[in-house]
Amino acid sequence: MTSTPSTPSTPDVETTSDEDVTGWRRMHPVTPALKGWKVLVAVLAIGWFQVGENIEQAIDLLHGPAFLALLGGILLIGLIGFGYSAVAWRVTRFAVTDEAVHLRTGILFRQQRQARLDRLQAVDVVQPLLARLVGLAELKLEVAGGSGSAVSLAFLREADAEALRAELLALAAGLQRPGAVPVPVPVEGSRPDAAVAPVPFEVAPERQVYELPMGRLVSATLRSGAVPVMLLVVAGAITLAIVSRDISAAFVLLAPLFAGVTFVWSRINQGANFRAAISPDGIRLRHGLTESRAQTVPPGRVQAIRLRQGPLWRGPDWWRVEINVAGYGQGDQQQRDTVLHPVATRGEAMTALWLVLPDLGVQDPAALVEAALTGMDDDGGFTAAPRRARWVDPVGWRRHGVRVTERALVTRSGRIWRSVDVVPHERTQSLGLEQGPIQRRFGLASFVLHSTPGPVAPRVNHLDAGVAAALLDEQSERARTARASATPEQWMRAVGAPTPDVPDPVPTTAPPQDLPSPVPTVSSPDSATTGPAGGTAGRAPEQPGPTPPPAVGAGA
Amino acid sequence: MTSDAVPGTREPFDPTDVTWTPVSSRLVGARLTVTAIVLGPVLVLLVLLAVLVGEVWLWVFPAVVALLIGWIAWLVPRQVRALAYAERADDLLVRRGIMFRSLVVVPYGRMQYVDVNAGPLARKFGIASVQLHTASPATSASIDGLPPHEAARLRDRMASRGEARLAGL
Repeated sequence: MTSTPSTPSTPDVETTSDEDVTGWRRMHPVTPALKGWKVLVAVLAIGWFQVGENIEQAIDLLHGPAFLALLGGILLIGLIGFGYSAVAWRVTRFAVTDEAVHLRTGILFRQQRQARLDRLQAVDVVQPLLARLVGLAELKLEVAGGSGSAVSLAFLREADAEALRAELLALAAGLQRPGAVPVPVPVEGSRPDAAVAPVPFEVAPERQVYELPMGRLVSATLRSGAVPVMLLVVAGAITLAIVSRDISAAFVLLAPLFAGVTFVWSRINQGANFRAAISPDGIRLRHGLTESRAQTVPPGRVQAIRLRQGPLWRGPDWWRVEINVAGYGQGDQQQRDTVLHPVATRGEAMTALWLVLPDLGVQDPAALVEAALTGMDDDGGFTAAPRRARWVDPVGWRRHGVRVTERALVTRSGRIWRSVDVVPHERTQSLGLEQGPIQRRFGLASFVLHSTPGPVAPRVNHLDAGVAAALLDEQSERARTARASATPEQWMRAVGAPTPDVPDPVPTTAPPQDLPSPVPTVSSPDSATTGPAGGTAGRAPEQPGPTPPPAVGAGA
Repeated sequence: MTSDAVPGTREPFDPTDVTWTPVSSRLVGARLTVTAIVLGPVLVLLVLLAVLVGEVWLWVFPAVVALLIGWIAWLVPRQVRALAYAERADDLLVRRGIMFRSLVVVPYGRMQYVDVNAGPLARKFGIASVQLHTASPATSASIDGLPPHEAARLRDRMASRGEARLAGL
C-alpha cells in the first residue's frame, strides 16, 4: 500500500490470528475536521427547526447579550464535535489481511469488526462534497449482514482509497498478492515496515458501457410521477388561495411542494454524471453531483434486476433499471445505491441487463427482452395469466406473465406502470405460492420469488393455479441445479479454471483480456444472436446433468 | 390431505409427492388462551360498564367483542389444521391459511439461520415454533406449534442439511 502503517509497534510478520493482525492503519488525519462538521450542522438544523416556528421572537432575542451567548454556544458545540471526532479518529484503526478487513472503533464502547472478504458484496468509494474538495474519500465495504453491517473506512486519501479498493477486490476475487514471495529479512537499520509493505495491486482495467446525458436525466425526472403530482399541488394551492381569498391558505400546501422539489433534486443529484463500466472486478457505477459515488459490484453479486417504465416515459421509451444487491440496505440508501441506470434507452436497458446476466439462456435475447418489456399475453413465449384473470385485474391482466429460460426467470407485469423482473436461477432464495379467496374462486394463484432486500420483489399475479404450482415445482428444481454450478464466491477462481470446450469470444469491441463477462449477447439488438454457448466463458462449467426442459414458457 | 378446490384442476397447494406433517393441535389451545388473555378482560370491563350505566345501547360493545371472540374461536382450529410442513430431499415446504393460502418452498442450501422460540405460554402448552431465515426477508417460513422434541429435531436437521448444501447468497 502507498500509505505506511502508522502503528508505532514493530509489526511482526507471521501472526495472522485475530488478536494481533499486523499492519493497523489510521484514517487520514483530516478526518475529524470533516466529521466534526456533521455535529455542528446537526445541532444547527435542530435549532433551526425549533426556532423556525416563531422566528420573529427569536430575532428579537438575538439583540444584546443573548446573541453572544448563542454564538458561544455554537462555538462550544463545534469544539465538542471536533474534539469528539479527533478522539474517535485516534482510536479508529483498520487492517487488511488476505481473508478479512478488520476495523476497530469506539471511544467508550469499543467495537471490533471483521468483515470476511469472500462475503464481500460491493465496494463503494464515496466522496461527500467537503471531502471531495480536499481530495479525500470514504471506502465502504458491503457485506450481506443486514442494515448497519457495512464497514466504513472514512476518510482516506483518494489515491489510497482507490488502491485499497483494488486490493480488496483482488483479494476477494481469490487472487494472490503480487508480493506473495517470501518476505526478505529486514536489513538492520532499515525501517521495519518497509519490508512488509505489500506491492500494490493493479487497478483492474475497465471499459465504459454507457453514460447518462444530463439533459435526458433532467427531462426524465420532470416526466416522472412526482412532477404531475407537484403541478396538481401548485394548482390546488392557487385554487385554494382564490377561493378563500386569502393568500396564506396556500401555505398549507407548501410542505408537499417542498417534498416534491426534494424528490426531483435528489433524483437529479444522484443520477448526475451516471456512468457504468465493466471490469474484471464486476460492474462499476459512478454517479452523483454534490456527493460522488463509485460503486463496484463484483460478478454474481447482483441478485435480481428490474426494469420499470411509467406512463410518461413511454414516448421516449425510457426505463429505470434497478438491482438487488445483498449488502445495500433499505430506505434512503437503497434508493441511491441500487440504481443500475436511472434513465436508460431501450438499447442501454439491454446493455444493463447484459452487465448483470451476460447470457439470458435463449437463442434470441433481443426478442425475449422486447416481449418482456412491451409484450402482452403469450408474446415471446411468455406464460400469461388466463383470460378469467380479468375479473381479478381488469386493467393489467394481459401483462402478467412469466418466462423461464435456461438461466433466468423473467417476469412481466403492469400495463400502465410497466415492470420486468429478471432473476438468475442460482440467485433464487425461496419460492412461494399465494392465493386469496377471489383468486381461488377463479382457480388462480400468484407465484412469488423471494430475493434479498432491495427494490426488486418478483411476483407473477393471477396465473392459472395448476400452472403456478407446476412453475413452483420446476423452479425449485431448476434453482437447485443452477446453484450447484454457480460461480464460486471468489470469482477469479472460476476464470482461472480451464474451460476447454468454450471457444474464445471474439467481440467486435475487444474488452480487456481477462474480463469475466463474455460476449455481449444482448448488448445491441442487432448483433445479438451469438447463442448460449458463447455466454458461458469465464463462468463455472455447465452443470453435469442435462437441465430438465422448462415446461413453462420455453417456446423459443 | 384433500380439500375443496376448484373441481377439475390439480390442487396447487397440495403437490402429489408430498406428505404433510400437521402441527400439534395444542397450538389451538395456546392461541385461544392468548385471545382469552387479551380480549377476556376487555369483555368483562365492557359488560361491567354496560351493567353499571344501565343504558341498553352500551351492550353493543360487549356484543361486538363477544362476536369477535366467537369468530376467533371458530377460525383458530381451522387455521391450525391448515398449518403443515413437509421435508423433502432438498427443501422444506410450509403451507398455511384457508382463506388466504400460501405455500413457501425454502431450499436447505439457502438457509442462513434457524430460530427456535418458545414463550412461557407455549412452554406451558408444550409447543415451540421454528423459523427459517434466508437472505430474503420475504421468506416467511415459520412453523408454530411443534412439540419441543420435534422442533429440536427439525432445527438440527435443517442445520445439517443446510451445511451439506451450503451456498453463498
